[in-house]
Amino acid sequence: MVAVIDYHMGNTRSVVKTLKAIGYDAILTNSPDELRSASHLILPGVGAFKDGMDNLHALGLPPLLDELVVKGGRPLLAICIGLQLLADEGMEHGGPHKGLGWIPGRVERFSVDEGKYKIPHVGWNNITVTRDNQLFQWIHSPSTDFYFVHSYHLKAVHSEHVIATCDYGETFTAAVQKDNIMATQFHPEKSQRNGVQVLRNFLEIS
Amino acid sequence: MFSYCKNCVMPNTKPDLHFDESGICDACRSAELKEQINWEDREKEFRVVIDKYRCLDGSRYDCIIPVSGGKDSTYQTYVAKKIYGLNPLCVCFAPTYPTELGKKNLRNLHHSLGVDVVEFFKNERVYKTMGLEGFRRVGDHEWPNHLGIFTTPIHFAVNFRIPLLIWGENSQLEYGGPAMARQKPVLDRRWLEEFGGLLGNRTDDMIGVNGITPEDLKPYTYPTDERLAEVGVTGVFLGYFFKWDARKQLEIIKQHGFSVKENGPIEGTYTNYENLDDGLVSIHDYMKYVKFGFGRATDHACLDIRNKRLSRNEGMELVRKHDGKLSYEIVEKFCSFYEISKREFFSIVDSFTNKAIFMCDDDGNVIRDVEGQLIKRPECLIQEITTE
Amino acid sequence: MLKTRVIPCLLLKDNRLIKTIQFGEYRNIGSYIAAVKVFNARDVDELVFLDMSASLEGRDPLYHLISDVARECFMPLAVGGGVQTLDHIARLLGVGADKVVLNTSALDHPEFITQGAGRYGAQCIVVSIDVKKTDRGYEVYRDHGKNPTGLDPITWAKEAESRGAGEIFLTSIDQDGMMKGYDIGLTKSVAEAVSIPVIASGGAGDLNHFVEVIRDGRADAVAAASIFQYTQYTPQDIKQHLIKSGIPARL
Repeated sequence: MVAVIDYHMGNTRSVVKTLKAIGYDAILTNSPDELRSASHLILPGVGAFKDGMDNLHALGLPPLLDELVVKGGRPLLAICIGLQLLADEGMEHGGPHKGLGWIPGRVERFSVDEGKYKIPHVGWNNITVTRDNQLFQWIHSPSTDFYFVHSYHLKAVHSEHVIATCDYGETFTAAVQKDNIMATQFHPEKSQRNGVQVLRNFLEIS
Repeated sequence: MFSYCKNCVMPNTKPDLHFDESGICDACRSAELKEQINWEDREKEFRVVIDKYRCLDGSRYDCIIPVSGGKDSTYQTYVAKKIYGLNPLCVCFAPTYPTELGKKNLRNLHHSLGVDVVEFFKNERVYKTMGLEGFRRVGDHEWPNHLGIFTTPIHFAVNFRIPLLIWGENSQLEYGGPAMARQKPVLDRRWLEEFGGLLGNRTDDMIGVNGITPEDLKPYTYPTDERLAEVGVTGVFLGYFFKWDARKQLEIIKQHGFSVKENGPIEGTYTNYENLDDGLVSIHDYMKYVKFGFGRATDHACLDIRNKRLSRNEGMELVRKHDGKLSYEIVEKFCSFYEISKREFFSIVDSFTNKAIFMCDDDGNVIRDVEGQLIKRPECLIQEITTE
Repeated sequence: MLKTRVIPCLLLKDNRLIKTIQFGEYRNIGSYIAAVKVFNARDVDELVFLDMSASLEGRDPLYHLISDVARECFMPLAVGGGVQTLDHIARLLGVGADKVVLNTSALDHPEFITQGAGRYGAQCIVVSIDVKKTDRGYEVYRDHGKNPTGLDPITWAKEAESRGAGEIFLTSIDQDGMMKGYDIGLTKSVAEAVSIPVIASGGAGDLNHFVEVIRDGRADAVAAASIFQYTQYTPQDIKQHLIKSGIPARL
């Protein structure tokens, strides 16, 4: 059973709906019991960094997730703002704000010519897989487009955590992995076939 | 807001049907217009058209008539052959689920009326795949049929070099549509895209579905503009030149061997002379009912009211009794034909059911009565017109 | 490289899928569920779904309906029509919408843009601007093209951006449904005035119109409706044409 973590950040229902449509048993929850009994955890989210962290803390989730994921080895897939919250800190809206600190790095705004590259970065963009990994199995050129919608991205300290990049005026982190912790800046639940494949790949990991 | 025409019994949910300030639908207005048209002049126009295309040395057919074995195309054939002495090639795109009665009426064309008929048997695997996908995607398993009945005759026109096609009624005139389309004599590609019942789905959209290739879709692909221009293909509506009256026409063709259903009306309506050729077309009509709140009985009652055979109240009673009734026997046939479960069938039906018209439970699921029929919301039920 | 999005736009009135011409002449064109399913099967980049009745009648969005639509969408869905409060946004996102489109409510209360962006992120907030050409130049219209606002689109777009909007959905009322091409001048002037993405809407009738509005009009994405209803062109045809013309698109 897959638990999609409900911390009141945006379009969580899309994730649940997509998982169910591809045949997985998924629930939206923040109940400790339900999170504990899940085989896989998904941290979705659309919104701002500080709100995301505030909401996680208000629900008492960071210690629980630390127990299940960091120490317990439960597979976790974080999406969009979810990826960003894994960082040490985020610079959005009067940051720095402290993140979960699981993937060393800082979340910063795109540093590009905004006359040429409009922010937010919205739409379909192709990724480059930089490290072989299970998440991107069966995803290959020329169809490596995924749906992005964000103004900030993660600058990871260790390049070995970065498993895919994307280009938009600058090359930025599209996906990360550290052992059982995986994350994508794009929205697999909104990325049609490619996205469904990424979700399936994640759920095949035990 | 849901309302019904004050003259006939059509609701305002019907696509492309406009109601004027008096609450009368434009199909009824068109019917009034039909009385004002100079049909003698129109008949003269028809003679001009057919004389232009008639092959004087008899070396080829004068025209193509798309047929199904149904009453309309039988009438078209009768008019072309028996009244105007044309030598048509009748082209039939075989129906989804041919009935014995349909086959009999098709045979009647080449037996009694004495015309040449081509019956096009399409690749059944491809057709069925598109039918099921049409049902899932646009709520209409007859989707490939709407396409095939238009494109196949055109292919014959182009390949046999027979430029003139004679279609039947202009459905925009009979059933309602935008003003420009109602008075159009010609059926062209844009007509097909806009009014042909394709519901936004296009031929190319089927590529890849269950292995369908572009080659498989050749019969369903409209020829290029160049090919059409080369042959000078043009399609006209007989209903533009002659006042269309289905019942009158039926009596004529019955004299020429056309048979109707003897043991009661067709499912979903009170008539026994339509939809005879295809055993599953009532599901197509039912899907119209779930999407828009009106079915075949409404269509027929409206025609009869406009042709002054029924009063509105009589039409209302027939609609209340027959409209939108789902035959579970046909559901079995359908599910068996397409190899889907009844569960999937109803899940698809429910996904297209308009919940503003039909009752649902608190969770937003559609509910059915003890006979398994949908229940219209009270504000969507047809009422008598009370004069104040 | 970011691909230019081709976005079908569906308009709802009285629970019916409709098409308009110059924001008038409503044509009921059929089942909105069928339309959504077709676009989903076509793997479109994104879908915009606007409920005209909600805004004109000042009532709440139809959450059940949007939920049914979202159930059929595996691509981003932007929903508009009657979105006036943070609760509306929350509930729409809750039933499966990914973005909300604000029009009248943003004009009446520009601070609502900031509130929405602040709570749900700028990427959720699309501000829709409808524009008519008058003798005084381009003017923003409200209430589905019925009433002038006295605002010029560039000024309003810049204000929407400064208030926190993530994207602008720019519609030319004059070109709507005419299938004669987008308003290139209007699109360019707004696209160059803001640094948030601008989606051009209103006027697409053939494949070249899309190239023109992207290349000359500087549109970041294109929306269309009539072309899918009345011609044989599919979103794939459009994107293939864009690629042939040197504009990146996702196939």
